[in-house]
Amino acid sequence: MNDCFRAFSFVDRIHSIQPGIKICGSYAIPAELSGFPPSLVAEAVGQLAAWAAMEAVDFKCRPVAGIAAEIDLLSPVCPGQVLELAADLETVDMDAIAYDGTAHVDGNPVIRLRHCVGPMLPLEDFDDPQRLRDRFALLRSTGAAPGAFNGLPPLALQIHPSDEIGQTLRATLQVPTAAPFFEDHFPRRPAFPGSLLMKSNLELAAALATQLPQPATGGSWAPRGASDMKLRTFTRPGETLEMKASLSHLSSDAAIISVETRKGSQLTGSVRVRLATVTTP
Amino acid sequence: MDNNNITKDEIMSVYPKAAAAMADALGCDTEKVKLDASLIDDLGAESIDFLDIVFRLERTFKVKIPRGKIVEEARGDLSEAEFSKSGIVSDAGVERLRAFLSEVPSERFPAPLKLADIPRLFTSETFCKMVIRQQRAAAVASGTQPA
Repeated sequence: MNDCFRAFSFVDRIHSIQPGIKICGSYAIPAELSGFPPSLVAEAVGQLAAWAAMEAVDFKCRPVAGIAAEIDLLSPVCPGQVLELAADLETVDMDAIAYDGTAHVDGNPVIRLRHCVGPMLPLEDFDDPQRLRDRFALLRSTGAAPGAFNGLPPLALQIHPSDEIGQTLRATLQVPTAAPFFEDHFPRRPAFPGSLLMKSNLELAAALATQLPQPATGGSWAPRGASDMKLRTFTRPGETLEMKASLSHLSSDAAIISVETRKGSQLTGSVRVRLATVTTP
Repeated sequence: MDNNNITKDEIMSVYPKAAAAMADALGCDTEKVKLDASLIDDLGAESIDFLDIVFRLERTFKVKIPRGKIVEEARGDLSEAEFSKSGIVSDAGVERLRAFLSEVPSERFPAPLKLADIPRLFTSETFCKMVIRQQRAAAVASGTQPA
């Protein structure tokens, strides 16, 4: 089955758009899924902003993930819920888009993105401009039929035994050579989505956090956000990514873990994960 | 816009905050962001970092910094054909760049200079001057400073 607009598209409807200023939309998380990680909620917000960017430049360019200064993970989401998406555009031109974005569920914020920047690249290198124009028109009118996303394929993060318990942790992520999401991201230039790299970074940070001293409150550590996330280069199907998580800050109720991702010696991405304590009821 | 009368005092008035913004973007200590440090050759900046730096400077100083304008402003009244040919900056173009990027030591201009390599010349002082030019433009636009 053709996975275009199925395997990695997280905007069902564009409700309103003020060109160059603001865009609002929604995405219904399929109820049959086993889960929907926060990185995909962030992806949904980014995709909404991308539609606004492409429309603003008449589908000549499209943004790619670049920088997110702050990501607040406010609340988990569940399959069956509807994400209410919004992006406020700071600037859109042929060079870059800069925006802030949010996702809400039943009026409650679940994620907040601030000071995001996406470089704009020639659209035809990634996809058929007319196909995207047609999709945009559909999203603006009746909307896309929900339920197309069938979940992510397994992305095994191979965590290595720690040399420095509670200080650093390394992992290898083998990017699949083939996966449904590559047909959406992107048809003419398959690239491992930055949000899936973010997912792996969060998992590695959470794994390192299990090696930290138990918080004074007696609970456990959980990712609450990320800052200074930067993606430097595309990752192609089949490439191998090496990640290193390092403890940057630790107090009684807060921790920061920096994660760097490399292909060989080339730094491909970096992020600082903020953790806070959670108390299990 | 007269680029050649930006004073040292003006540069030093923006440098601390500008250096902090550049350091945050590059993930390095602020002390490494010296005025004459080449962002690419000394600090390892890549294209995404230039975007990051520009947006951080815009937020820090509340100005809009036009992207890709340095070459256009340096070129002045030279046509694009007079400024460069086949990706190589002409002698006249290099002369204009030396004058516009007066903060860049003369020996850093390679011969020949490729158009694509112009960003390698940029220092942190180059970005400080970008901020100052936009601050001046904003002051003129608001009427608080004569053109």
